[in-house]
Amino acid sequence: MSAPATGNVSRSLLSLTIRRASVTGRFFLVYGTAISVLLGVLLAHVSGTSFATSFPLFLPVFGVVGSMGGLLVFTSDRTKGVLEYLLAYGYSPRRLFANVLLTTLVLASIVVGIGVSVSLGVYFAEGHTVTSTLAIGVGIYAVPMALACAAFASTVGVYWTTLSSPRLGINSPVGLIPFIGILPALVTLFAIVAAGLSGPISDRTLLLILGSGMGLVAIFVIVLLVSMGRLLRRERLLSPA
Amino acid sequence: MSTGSAPNVPDSLVPAGNGVGIDCRSVTAGYLGSRVLHRISFRITEPSIYVVLGPNGAGKTTLFRTLAGILQPYEGEVQIGGEPIDRQSSRDRLHYLTHVDGLPDGLTVREALEFFARIEGAQPRDVDRVMDQLEIRDLSAKFPSQLSAGQRKRVSIARVFLRERSIYLLDEPTANLDPKVAREIRELILKLSREKIVLYSSHNLFEAREIGRYVLVIKSGQISRFDRIENVRGSRYVLGIRVLQPSPALASYDHEGEYYLRELSGPEEVPAVLRELMAQGVQIREAREMENPLEDLFT
Repeated sequence: MSAPATGNVSRSLLSLTIRRASVTGRFFLVYGTAISVLLGVLLAHVSGTSFATSFPLFLPVFGVVGSMGGLLVFTSDRTKGVLEYLLAYGYSPRRLFANVLLTTLVLASIVVGIGVSVSLGVYFAEGHTVTSTLAIGVGIYAVPMALACAAFASTVGVYWTTLSSPRLGINSPVGLIPFIGILPALVTLFAIVAAGLSGPISDRTLLLILGSGMGLVAIFVIVLLVSMGRLLRRERLLSPA
Repeated sequence: MSTGSAPNVPDSLVPAGNGVGIDCRSVTAGYLGSRVLHRISFRITEPSIYVVLGPNGAGKTTLFRTLAGILQPYEGEVQIGGEPIDRQSSRDRLHYLTHVDGLPDGLTVREALEFFARIEGAQPRDVDRVMDQLEIRDLSAKFPSQLSAGQRKRVSIARVFLRERSIYLLDEPTANLDPKVAREIRELILKLSREKIVLYSSHNLFEAREIGRYVLVIKSGQISRFDRIENVRGSRYVLGIRVLQPSPALASYDHEGEYYLRELSGPEEVPAVLRELMAQGVQIREAREMENPLEDLFT
């Protein structure tokens, strides 16, 4: 089916979805942001080294948790027939998924943006300076990995939600996705730890592991996005009611 | 209107249309490879209300989803105004009201209608117009979770009035509504149908007879009948009479609740029966048809 509407309508759908996701998933958004700020401020206050080594490791978790609103809106829209309405007006499944993905990335960016900026503000206010560990940890690992994990969680969540029967509670996709979403970050961390068992790892090896981790997540998301037309049939997006 | 798979539609029913019609050509459709509709064919060009009837699971919603272009047929083709449904120009000619409310969480009623208006290319003033038309202005600041089922349905229906289209696919628009609101909605739809093609699904046989001009019956994914409502006659006609006082004149009648029953050969006999009873001093409070002839279409 061809594109239904002008770019303005698409932008309007995205901005509205972001707003709805912020409202529907406000608990997740506030929780993810607040905990990342609290942890960052505490670590920065304790010591510069603690902050530089620990804070980046946790940031992807908060990014995933804070961006759950996107998946919540998608799940609700499917159940309540909003997706069916949009399909009837010419929106393709891929476009609807892209809408969720972008919403998730925006929410994750809010969490990560606030968490990093406030924490770094406190870090510098405490008199600490920029180190290579901090630069790599935050700039190369934490921020991109938080966004990659959020995208991973969103993609898996959309597939899982549409390929399974509607369920509520902790065993539902929405309940379990935060745990699944942080898998790429955990796997990358395990890879770093494993590489470090035989001795200190160079910055180059570290960057290679981090780049590979994020690259794999990006490939995974792109493959699922491209395969959506074949894997996610339109009828999967219809209300089961 | 004409039909390929429903041979019981007389040729005289094929009217001159306005060119923007529905052409369903030997369509087989369903979900994930499972076939629900089996080689359905019909053509509608005359602006009117076509009531789609059928028991649960017969394929009514699947038909609507296929006509709306949501489900892609496994075989056959749907054309709107002579163009395939997957073209946006075809899509722009129809409204589809889903059987679920379709109201987005996190938006107030007004925001939801403004959202629908943007999707459908309507103007902001149209939102105010439909809120007055559907008498939902007092709900404008409420969220869907704060509305009753009837109120949600009303808001949901409001979106099909945001912008005029040639074809309206309304899947159970009066389900969950109280009788008063349902009647108001039917009156709005009747006004709407003057120059439009309206496909209206319902389980309610009395409603179908009240609102529809044509009936399209689906059974097991196939069209079992497509005809003018007035041509659909039941196998029997049972008249029910409620009276103010029991009378010996009704001794030969059967009972069902407060009603005295008499089986007639058709509605044309009703006036004579009532005249005869009144001549015998029976004070009639109400007389009604006890069985809807459309029930026969389900059996």
